[in-house]
Order: sequence, then C-alpha cells, then structure tokens
Amino acid sequence: MCRQDSRVRMSAEEEIAAEESLSIYCKPVELYNILQRRAIRNPSFLQRCLRYKIEAKHKRRIQMMISLPGTANEGLQTQNLFPLCIFLARLVSEVAVVEYSAVYRFSRACIFTNPTGVEGSTQIQANIILPEINKLALEAKSGSLAILLVSWAGAENSLLGTNLSKDPLDATPFPSNGRGYCLWGKIPLESLYVSWENSPNFSLGQRAEIMSTVSMHSCFLKLSCLNEEKCIAIQLPYNPETVSTSQQVQVTISAEEIGAKEKSPYNSYICSDVPSSSLSHIIRLRAGNVIFNYRYYNNKLQRTEVTEDFSCPFCLVKCASFKGLRFHLSSSHDLFNFEFWVTEEYQAVNVSVKTDTWRSEVVADGVDPKQQTFFFCTKPLKRRRPKSLVQNAKHVHPLALESDLPSGACELLDKADDAHSSKGDKARFSGVSSATPQSYADGDCIQSIPGNNLAPTTMLQFAKTRKLSIERSDPRNCALLRKRQFFHSHRAQPMALEQVLADRDSEDEVDDDVADFEDRRMLDDFVDVTKDEKLMMHMWNSFVRKQRVLADGHIPWACEAFSRLHGPDLVCNPSLVWCWRLFMIKLWNHGLLDARTMNNCNVILEQCQDSYPKS
Amino acid sequence: MAKFALGSEPVVGSLALSKKRDYRVTNRLQEGKRPLYAVVFNFIDSRYFNVFATVGGNRVTVYQCLEGGVIAVLQSYIDEDKDESFYTVSWACNIDGTPFIVAGGINGLIRVIDAGSEKIHKSFVGHGDSVNEIRTQPLKPSLVVSASKDESVRLWNVHTGICILIFSGAGGHRNEVLSVDFHPSDIYRIASCGMDNTVKIWSMKEFWTYVEKSFTWTDLPSKFPTKYVQFPVFIASVHSNYVDCNRWLGDFILSKSVDNEIVLWEPKMKDQSPGEGSVDILQKYPVPECDIWFIKFSCDFHYNAAAIGNREGKIFVWELQSSPPVLIAKLSHAQSKSPIRQTAVSFDGSIILSCCEDGTIWRWDAVATS
Repeated sequence: MCRQDSRVRMSAEEEIAAEESLSIYCKPVELYNILQRRAIRNPSFLQRCLRYKIEAKHKRRIQMMISLPGTANEGLQTQNLFPLCIFLARLVSEVAVVEYSAVYRFSRACIFTNPTGVEGSTQIQANIILPEINKLALEAKSGSLAILLVSWAGAENSLLGTNLSKDPLDATPFPSNGRGYCLWGKIPLESLYVSWENSPNFSLGQRAEIMSTVSMHSCFLKLSCLNEEKCIAIQLPYNPETVSTSQQVQVTISAEEIGAKEKSPYNSYICSDVPSSSLSHIIRLRAGNVIFNYRYYNNKLQRTEVTEDFSCPFCLVKCASFKGLRFHLSSSHDLFNFEFWVTEEYQAVNVSVKTDTWRSEVVADGVDPKQQTFFFCTKPLKRRRPKSLVQNAKHVHPLALESDLPSGACELLDKADDAHSSKGDKARFSGVSSATPQSYADGDCIQSIPGNNLAPTTMLQFAKTRKLSIERSDPRNCALLRKRQFFHSHRAQPMALEQVLADRDSEDEVDDDVADFEDRRMLDDFVDVTKDEKLMMHMWNSFVRKQRVLADGHIPWACEAFSRLHGPDLVCNPSLVWCWRLFMIKLWNHGLLDARTMNNCNVILEQCQDSYPKS
Repeated sequence: MAKFALGSEPVVGSLALSKKRDYRVTNRLQEGKRPLYAVVFNFIDSRYFNVFATVGGNRVTVYQCLEGGVIAVLQSYIDEDKDESFYTVSWACNIDGTPFIVAGGINGLIRVIDAGSEKIHKSFVGHGDSVNEIRTQPLKPSLVVSASKDESVRLWNVHTGICILIFSGAGGHRNEVLSVDFHPSDIYRIASCGMDNTVKIWSMKEFWTYVEKSFTWTDLPSKFPTKYVQFPVFIASVHSNYVDCNRWLGDFILSKSVDNEIVLWEPKMKDQSPGEGSVDILQKYPVPECDIWFIKFSCDFHYNAAAIGNREGKIFVWELQSSPPVLIAKLSHAQSKSPIRQTAVSFDGSIILSCCEDGTIWRWDAVATS
C-alpha cells in the first residue's frame, strides 16, 4: 500500500506526466514478479541464508529466569550465601569416582555476587534458555537435569578465589584448587516441568512464575574438567552432624516460551486503545518496518510504502534484518537505485529506477518477446527505448503503485527527507504491505493484464504437445521454415514446403533397392560360389538389412522369420533349401543358433514342402 | 597409363595437311568482353540445324548461321545473377519437341530455357558446385546429364524437372568432373572424365525403371526417389593429367588431356567382373599448343570430323574414322590469337565455329572444292 505525497499542486497535464513517469516502475516490478515466481522452488543463496536467520529467530524455546528476591527471605542468611552460583547441570550417570555421590556436568554458570547495596533493590537473575516444552519433557522425565545452587559463603571463605570474572562461562570464581566445602541445593527440572505443564497459561505463551524454596546442604565439592567438559563432583559429608549449616533459599523461577508464535510488537498496542494519531509513530518504531520511498517524475515526487518484517516490496521476501534487506535489494533488484538510510527512529530506503541502464529484459510494447531471439547487449540501448517504454506503460495500468487515497488527501511533502516524519496519520496497513498486488503471483492474471507480452499459455501448450505440424507448431518456427528453402540432405534437391512441414524424414533411410543392387553386384564378384549360394546370400543379406538384424540375440528370431518368409520359394529349389540348411548349421556351429530353433525352422520348411505340391 | 604390347602401338596421325577440305573465315563476332566457354549447334531438331548457342558470363545467346557467312542473333538471355558465369550449354527438347537450351556454370544452377516461349522453363538445383558440362541424350532428348565440380554427374529429366540419378559415391570421381557424354546407341551408358585423371563408364541399366518413372512422375519433383549410382562399370586411366573432354565414337572413346593430343581408345570390359578391364589405345590425334585444360573438341553429327582449338587460337580438324588419322584442315587467322575453349562443327561439317577467351566468335565455312 502506498501513499502518494505531493506538495506541488500540479496542472492536469503535469499530473498525467507524473503518472506516466511513475509507471516506469511497472515493467521492472512485473519482471521481478516473474523472477520471484521462478525462484520459489530454487531460492538464491542469499535468500536461503536469510530464511535460516528468520527460522532461527522463530525457533521455539523456553526462557527461564531465576532470581533471588532479596527481600523475600531472611535477609542475613541469604546474604551469607553470596557469592552464589547457579548451574543448569546434567547428572552424569556413570559415576567415575567412587567417593563422590554425584557428578554433574554443566556448560555455564551464573554467578550472583554479594549484593552490597540496599537489600530491597537487589534483584539478581540468571537467564537460562531451555529447549521447547516438548523436547524438555524427555529431558525432565529422565530426571538427570537439575538446577544447582552452590554457595561457598557458608564454607571456608579462604578457599574462594578472588578472581570473580563477570563472564559466567568462566569457571574461575571457584576455589582456586577447584575443591572445597560449600553449600549446595538443587531444583530438579522435572518439578519445574510438571508445574509448567500444569500451568494453563504457559502453553499460551504467558509467563509462569514459580516460587521455590531450596534447602542448601553442606558438602565437599570438587570442580574438574572431565573430557573437556566442566564437571562438579559433590561429596556428602560422612557425619550428618556437620550439616548443621543447612539453609533455606527462596528462588523465583519465571519462565516464558518464546518464538512460539511470531509476536508482533503490535499486539500489545492493538489491545490497548492507542490513539490513531500516534499509530504511525508506533509503526515506525516497530523493528521490522522499513519505509520505501519511490521517487519519480524526475525525483520531484515520491510515494511511500512501509513493509513489515524487513520484507522486500518487490518480491515480498522477508529479509530478517535491515542488513539482509540491503543485500537482497542490491543483489536481486538491480534495475533500481537504492539509498539506504537508518536513523534511530526509522529505517528507510529511497528507490529510483535506473532508466539509463534498462536492458532487453524489459520489452517494449508491440514486441512479442517470443519473436525475439535472445541477444546480449552490453551498451545501454538507444534513447528511444525508455520513451517507448513510457508509451507502453500508458495502457499498462499502474497497478503496482496505484494510490488508493483521494488526491485531496495526499499530503504535501518535501522532496525526501520528511517523508516519514510525515504527520502520516493516513498511512494504513494491510496484512502484507507490498508495492505489488498479490494477483501477480498466479499465471492466470498475467493474461488479463494488458501490455503483458509474456503470456505463457501458448508457449506451454507447444512444449506439452511437441508436435511439429502446421497447426500446432509455434507460428514463428513455421514462419522461419517457410521463409527459406530447404534441401534434401542426400540428393540436394529442394524440398517442397509440404515436405518441410511434414513430420516424416526419410533422408537417412537405407535405399533398399540400391542396397540390394549393390549386394548382388558384390556377390557377383565371387568366382568360387555357386549361383544358388549367391542367391541365398543375397536373400539373407537383404533380409538382415531390412529387418535390422544387428545382434547375436536376433539370429534365432531371424532364422525362423526367414524360413517363414522365404520357405515357399526355398522348397521349390532343393539346392537352395540345402544352402539355407547349411547356413543354419554354420550359425549353430558358431553358437548363434540353438538346436530347438533350428528344428523349428526345419518344421516350417517341411510344412512349406507339404503345401507346395498341392498349391 | 596403358601399356602397349608389341605391334599394338597407337597410330598417331600426321600433322601434314591432306588438303581434303579448305575452310575460310566468313565472320567474326565480338560478343562481349567476357570469355566464351561454349558454343554448340542444335542437332536435336532438324529444322534448326543451323542454329547454335553460345555462353559466356551470365549470358546465353542463340544465333543462326545464314548463307554467305552471316550470323544472325536470334535470342539472348541474361541471368539475373551478375556473378553467374556459364561454362556449358546444350540443346535439348521437351517431349512435345519444344527446343530447350540447357546452360550451367559457376553457380551450379542449371537453367532450362524454353527457346520457343523465350522463358525459363525450369532451374535445376542440386549440384553443390560449378557445372562443367551438360550433354543431351540424342535418343531421348529430354534427358540431360551434367558434370560438376562437386564430383558428381547427375541425370535430369528436363520435361518433368526431376533429378533421376546421381553418379557419385564409393566408385565415383575423386575430383571435379569436367566432361560427360552419352553413348550414341547404348542408351544406358555414359562416360565421364575429370580432374582425377580417369574416365569412368557408367551403366544405368539397373536404374532404368527410375528413368522411365521420371517421365510419368506427376508428384512434386523433390519427392522423386532419386537414386545414387555409386559404382561405374569401367574405370580407365588413359591420361596422366586432367581429362577435360571425352566423347563416344561408337563403343570407343575419344578423350583429351593437356598433352597436345586427342586419344581414341577402346574400353575392354570383362563381363564377369565389372569395374575392371583394360584399355586399348587405338589412335592419337596430335593438336599442337593444346596444353592448357578446359579446351574441348566437337564433332559433326556423324562423327566424321572433330575440330579442336588450341592455346594460340588455331583450329585443327581431324578426320576421326580413318586410320591413320588424317588432318583435314588447320584453321588459323592472324587475328585469332586467344585460346579457343570450344568449337562447334555443323551437322555436315561445312561450318566450324569457335569461341574464344577474348569473347569473339569465329565462323569458318568450308570452301567448295571443285
């Protein structure tokens, strides 16, 4: 959806001219629509990358926040617990070292350092990303995942390393030698999972908060690196009396499923009644909204369009980020010039058409692209070209950029810069905002759009039938065939049009008459062969050529067929029939003919013999 | 080259003039600047025995020899293609007797001109290169045969415009075919010679049904089942250089190369084995200064005399059928100095025409000896 902005009050003629100049967008947009349809099945590398990014962003997962509300429990005790580490750890099932009761593996730890400020203001939280709830179910049921809370405060402080790195992945805040007494508590993930599952709102994407009290026990803890993975080994003290320092810690675990649905930043606004005047402002604030300014009429006028989700206005493809959009535009739509332009408030793209570099991709009016041979043109075309395009565009309704606002409602606008500062109370949005109507997407509409010469239907029909007859064939081919003289390849005789268009081509067929003649002549050269033998050879050669007996495997069939074909003639001449039998024996000698087939042939010959005297 | 057994050496004619007949120049015509390559009398139609045709450049001209050495121009045709250069011309006729002029040249296109209506009757497309000679079958004057640079010989039916046979292929010529001739009595037989130094004798006996079919063919000419004749019945290596002219003399063959002579020889075929055979050279007709190629000789209707020009513009007239050969006349003129490519001897041998490289036509008339 576009907004037309014009500050200048123009005469009717000027308006027409402006409209015309705007229509230069039509052809490239049409072209890009076609390209986009083609690219649906086989997207470009860039598109695949961007799609991956979008998908990654929308992957369902649970974000869990663990916080220790400072005010919520007995202050001092909690204070004593700092620094506190929170791990998402997995119980290693096979315990390598006997003396430890449990070994956990973890990848990262969150450290809560000692809050020195006012207690009430201390709100510390650890963020942990969990896989989506269905995947989590498996993990939770196995019971191996747990959230561990470890505190060295209650134990020997001397062991605590001074190097408290802010990097949660850094394991250095632990006792320098990696072992020591401490307090530990555990929240099994299973319990969290059960409570999430039971929470009715959680699956709807709402936040679920759980308050939990964890009892901390003292233990001997060893931090180690096992197979390059960080492990915590916990050794419970032998005498339970020493576990006097057991403490209770209250933690708040709030979790939220994110990426479950594409959350529009609008949602919150839609619910609340936002005054329409501020809507444009809100719109601008949305992360994925990009403003496109289409310049036309010698850059005097422009129309504005806003797209969501960093989508491209020409091919509606979502580009994940403004950077992605920038790459996409400059790589896929090089018929336009783009100026990218980002401020804190908005992201905008100024678009203009590269009129000087229009190439043959955009066909002029009255030229059927099917009639055009492909050509490569490095130089910009003649001046005439854009003009004819403009003329062409006259009866191409500027569907793409048609404004649906009454001209009176069009706002005055300075050339470029305040296009979006806009007071743009009238900018409206449809679900998919795009410069190009959706109807372009399907082929049927292509037909109905005047001036669109790329009508695919006739071409497709031709491709389907693949018949080269006068009625069916492409008229252009036919015209070409008619235009010039064709000649027979062997005789070099001119072909009549009728023959050119016929589907029969006998040029490479063997001329049997001549071949027989040549064969007979060749056989005549033999001096040590009897007349019957020559005749027999000739009959066989001729038969083999006509029936295309080429492979060894054809021989049995050929013998039977030959016996059947020439049987009546053969039996009239006993010496000839014996020539044939000898020949079959020769074939049998060479393993080309089996005894059964030879028998069949002789049966056929006998049948001929029997019927011969009668007929 | 054929080897001669003792006692069978060819008889070489003597250049001593017999003074049997005397010829005198009666006319000289400058047709144009371009060389004239062929001149031929009409032997097809007895009404027009005194009519002859010449070709040179893109022009075909028809003349009539009148009494007293007069040459009258009857018709002149100019090919639409300026670059056409006709090399050969022959008279033929339709089955109803309409005289045709068949001409061919550098373009490989054979033009059949209806001399009655003065229009092009047909144009034969098929040869892939220049047409070097066209001859007409005297027994069936609708049949013409053409020899081409494309190493093939083609048999055409001028009446229906059909290419009936193509003599080329496995046993065919291996270079330009320069000359071709029909056997005077054996309608199936032709002889051709060319730049592969051989003379080949072909038989179309097995293909005669197609020749007959060509007369009754009513469908499109291009649909006719044109056949290839790949093997000649006889191959003779009589000469050691280009053979640029051959003619049948009965069952014998007259042929010439660039060796200053015409050779008469007999092809001796073996019935059992076609393609093989030997050559018996019978006679030689010396022609001095005739050592360039594309000089053709011509004979009168009865093959009594043969006339041949030479490089210096002189003409030698030999009595063909006497042994030893007798030189009937030696025609020379002070102004005839350029090579004579072709001569034409009238029906009875009383007129001899020559066409020269400088574009002139010379007429020599026999002087009645009392």
